Amino acid sequence: MKLLLRILILGLPFFLIPMSPPLSPAAKAEEPDFFQPPSDKEIPPGPFGDLVRRGERIFTKTGQFATRYVGNDLTCESCHLDRGRKPFAAPLWAAYVSYPRFRAKNHKVSRLGERIQGCFRFSMNGTPPPLHSETIRSLVAYAFWMSRGAPVGTHMKGGGMYRMPPSRLPPDPFHGKSVYTARCALCHGADGQGTVSGHDVAFPPVWGPRSYNKGAGLAKVAKLAGFIKMNMPLSKGDSLSDQEAWDVAAFIDRQSRPPDPRNAATP
Amino acid sequence: MTNPSLLVVLSAFLICCFSIPEAQAENVLFEAGKKIARAGTGKAGSIACMECHRLRGGGMPSIGSPRIAGQSAIYIAHEILGVQQGTRYAPMMAGVVRDLSRKDIQAVARYYASVRSPKVAEISPPDPALVEIGRSIAQKGLWKKNIPACVLCHGPDGRGIPPHFPYIAGQNKGYLLRQLLSFAFLKRKDDPQGLMRGIARRLTHEERKAVAEYFASLSPPPAAGKRAEVQGSHHP
Ligand code: HEC
Ligand code: HEC
Ligand code: HEC
Ligand code: HEC
Repeated sequence: MKLLLRILILGLPFFLIPMSPPLSPAAKAEEPDFFQPPSDKEIPPGPFGDLVRRGERIFTKTGQFATRYVGNDLTCESCHLDRGRKPFAAPLWAAYVSYPRFRAKNHKVSRLGERIQGCFRFSMNGTPPPLHSETIRSLVAYAFWMSRGAPVGTHMKGGGMYRMPPSRLPPDPFHGKSVYTARCALCHGADGQGTVSGHDVAFPPVWGPRSYNKGAGLAKVAKLAGFIKMNMPLSKGDSLSDQEAWDVAAFIDRQSRPPDPRNAATP
Repeated sequence: MTNPSLLVVLSAFLICCFSIPEAQAENVLFEAGKKIARAGTGKAGSIACMECHRLRGGGMPSIGSPRIAGQSAIYIAHEILGVQQGTRYAPMMAGVVRDLSRKDIQAVARYYASVRSPKVAEISPPDPALVEIGRSIAQKGLWKKNIPACVLCHGPDGRGIPPHFPYIAGQNKGYLLRQLLSFAFLKRKDDPQGLMRGIARRLTHEERKAVAEYFASLSPPPAAGKRAEVQGSHHP
């Protein structure tokens, strides 16, 4: 008891420190030079708002709300961070205003719904939901709402993934492995298979059977390097050098993952 | 010609050789840890962990001592080493853990990782307005300031992602707030890649208070990564 008292007295001043507001290093609001999507509070009540909210749920908990179309442990948000808002993580506000668009992947002009089908098929290693399904309609409504006020027909800053300047040296997967061990394995695991919290996937797998397949956008080294450069390690975007981003992307690209379904169809 | 009794003897021998020593080693470690938790190391001036963390690891909100029951053994050991090596400034703990050997640390970490404790009563009731602000930061982040949702790294509802990401749900609020300040003002520098320092620095003081209130208002998980079983059990 005497000990406790002593601790209490000794510890009291220290314990009180947080109660007096310290001089916060005035978190300077950054210049909003990226498009600012509307806030959650502005989602209207009624059927349109319901569709938007449903779209957001599918986007952030894809396995739970679009179960039969998903074939791996990822969600849309795994790559489109901040619920589809983060610049340089192919944000939905920039996507909505840039469709319909010609895509070299299938040589046709695609609508946004078709583009989303592509992410289901390749990035989610699943089955594309029909264009008129509630799943696609909700996701398109979510993107539409987020793009409110965005200029149509010009390239928006932060749209798409970051385009890497060409690497000066050829990407080196061996050096990439050491970058991976030092900066990525903490969360994605030494074996790339991600980390769980109880029964839930917490950090998504970056390769292996539960990751995106070989037909996905990130299965191209340049796209992957651009994604990593601006977004990883989580909360430390833009902290790897360009060369480190190229190298770690080359390392990840060498690992196994599900095949491209377009090849699997004709063996 | 196999002699059944020989087989029995042989398998008993094999079991002794392989499985029992491992289980036994675990047990010995647990018991050694429990002893340190209950009575200290026996060295002069050694204080038992239970004086501040309780025997079952529930912590003591009144003195800002954290709950540690069910955190991963790797995390617990990492924090004690941090205090010993001075990468984590913790004046109340420093003297206590100064003389712990690596073996002692392993033992006491194993012990506290295995025990379970309900939430210990808080010093004050949650502030509903702050809890709401905290919930939004915890679940959605403040990406304009490059702050991801806390739950991305601390697990759904803050129940931890073992072994490196501690649970923060049900932790006491005074402790949570002080850690955020320690990270922000670099008194705690033991976080991998400085992940937590950057985030804590970018939060305003009001936001730090809000997330502390929010996570303290939740039920703690029985162990890192496990779902909380009972909602809001408040045993002292
Ligand atoms: C494994 C990562 C990954 C996952 C998971 C993923 N995507 Fe994508 N997505 C990409 C990449 C890469 C692009 C191409 C961006 C570019 O070309 O710059 C893309 C592009 C898009 C685009 C077009 C963006 C634009 O600006 O043209 C939309 C819309 C989209 N994804 C929606 C989704 C939806 C909805 C889901 C969930 C069903 C999803 N994505 C899941 C990686 C992913
Ligand atoms: C602090 C933990 C953390 C670290 C460190 C980290 N990531 Fe991630 N990573 C995440 C999280 C969380 C997501 C999913 C984001 C979401 O759901 O909002 C993610 C998503 C990804 C994705 C897209 C989804 C997938 O599984 O393919 C890739 C690729 C990726 N990270 C690569 C890396 C690389 C490369 C590094 C090292 C340079 C790295 N990450 C470091 C936490 C981390
Ligand atoms: C005199 C009181 C006191 C004693 C005795 C004590 N601790 Fe602590 N402990 C604290 C306080 C206070 C903190 C919070 C330190 C801070 O503010 O950073 C703490 C923090 C910790 C942490 C970090 C928890 C986290 O979530 O990061 C661990 C682990 C820990 N103690 C283990 C022990 C062990 C094991 C013992 C016994 C060998 C012990 N403590 C003895 C007061 C004590
Ligand atoms: C990018 C990953 C990441 C994010 C996001 C994150 N944390 Fe952490 N946090 C960590 C790591 C890693 C540690 C453990 C540090 C260590 O090992 O000492 C930690 C430790 C903590 C601790 C100390 C726990 C203890 O028991 O001592 C608190 C409190 C905390 N975080 C609160 C938060 C809050 C609140 C948020 C959201 C605003 C948040 N964290 C977001 C990575 C993260």
